[in-house]
Amino acid sequence: MSQDGPVDVSVRELHKAFGAKQVLRGVSLEVRRGETVVMLGGSGEGKSVFLKHINGLLRPNSGFVEALGFLVSELPEKELVPLRRRVSYVFQQAALFDSLSVGENVAYPLREHGGLSEREIVDRVADLLAQVGLADTEALTPAELSGGMRKRVALARGLALSPEVILYDEPTAGLDPLIGSAITALIKQVTAKTTATSLVVTHDLRVAEALADRVIFLHGGRIAFEGTLHDAAGRKDTVGSFVRAGGFHG
Amino acid sequence: MSVFGRFYDLTWRRVRHFGGVSLLAGQIVPRLSTPPFQLREVVQHLETMGVRSTNLTAVIALFTGMVMALQTAYALSAFGAKFYIGEVVGLSVVRELGPVLTALMVGGRVGAGITAELGTMTVTEQVDALRSLGADPIRKLVAPRMWALLVGLPLLVVLADAAGVIGGLLISVWELDISPGFYMSHTLRLMEYSDVTSGLGKSVFFAFVIGVIASYNGLHAEGGADGVGRATTDTVVAIAISVLVLDFFLTKLFLAL
Repeated sequence: MSQDGPVDVSVRELHKAFGAKQVLRGVSLEVRRGETVVMLGGSGEGKSVFLKHINGLLRPNSGFVEALGFLVSELPEKELVPLRRRVSYVFQQAALFDSLSVGENVAYPLREHGGLSEREIVDRVADLLAQVGLADTEALTPAELSGGMRKRVALARGLALSPEVILYDEPTAGLDPLIGSAITALIKQVTAKTTATSLVVTHDLRVAEALADRVIFLHGGRIAFEGTLHDAAGRKDTVGSFVRAGGFHG
Repeated sequence: MSVFGRFYDLTWRRVRHFGGVSLLAGQIVPRLSTPPFQLREVVQHLETMGVRSTNLTAVIALFTGMVMALQTAYALSAFGAKFYIGEVVGLSVVRELGPVLTALMVGGRVGAGITAELGTMTVTEQVDALRSLGADPIRKLVAPRMWALLVGLPLLVVLADAAGVIGGLLISVWELDISPGFYMSHTLRLMEYSDVTSGLGKSVFFAFVIGVIASYNGLHAEGGADGVGRATTDTVVAIAISVLVLDFFLTKLFLAL
């Protein structure tokens, strides 16, 4: 990862409220090409809300969001389509389409954006599923999958269009430690293979330890810390308490 | 919060809801008229919404026609005019009862189904997933359901009209000693083409309103299974009120044409 590479994601003074509840209070962040940034924070601190602003799933009350040269916070929904081909989002609960099979779920972005023949799509889907360790599961339905398998399929779907930026929303939430470690290893493998820029939000310190080039800590709607996990563990404030309580002592 | 505050809050929420429904209606129309039309999905929804509603529609319309015939015979007998039962039942069913009852019953059933489906997709982030993959949820999810309603509801109204008239016929023959031929000739004697088309015209408007309300509530469901349940209940209530209010204005409109 280059410290001087171009900035893929830039967020400036992001404010977001839902009704009377102010969630984000001026968050600013830059993520450079090929970098993996892990955003930590407690439950309800607005990590997922922040992530959903990057590809325009949520709109800020004020502030600017720019990704891959698109001014996301200002563009209408229709004009975000080209950006969403290049920025993939892996959802916390996988968000697989219940009415489609595993194969159809992974093929969905390929069919939506065209350009490939049906034969090529079938081959690409098989290849993606093999990459995430789920070869020959095309015919299964999401209801037949375990939590870990669902996350793998979501990851395969997220990789279908070879994205330049991947946003991971709590990739290990709801999984046992063993499966969680496997998913983390898979993400690490994907990150190494694709050189995609990654932004991961999680409260799982093992994910941060395994993946992060840089750690961000979100607290009270603001970035309370930016640096390494080791530095965070040495602090005396909420950040340090959170990291140590998570079992990381530097 | 004060009484005034609560009243203001409730009014503001209703205005926002109405505004949101209107905006969605405006977004649906262009997507209905431009390709791709997703014919496979439309046929699937037509089967789920339309074909599976035929028994419900037929039974309700049949018994409504029978009750209409009984009540009309009771009322007209006082004037010795029970032989006009065919005209009264036929016109009532075709102009009013067929479209309105079908919209209320099928609208409740189908509308609740649409809200539950879309609501579940919304709270499990499947709608967000569609958007994040660069797809348009209104085109992908709402438009096929709306086409199925726009085609299916008028067809169900035709079925309801026929079942209602047959219900009147059964009572006329069994209870009132009127011959089937006499009943049918009287039913068709006063009925004009415009009576049928006004009923079918109403059903198209009802279908659109049912689709918009159900889709809006589904796409704006929040709070997990509980939220989906609330949205579904809201849909049934909103559809019932909207169909009856809209019916008044459409009746005025079609009578004026």
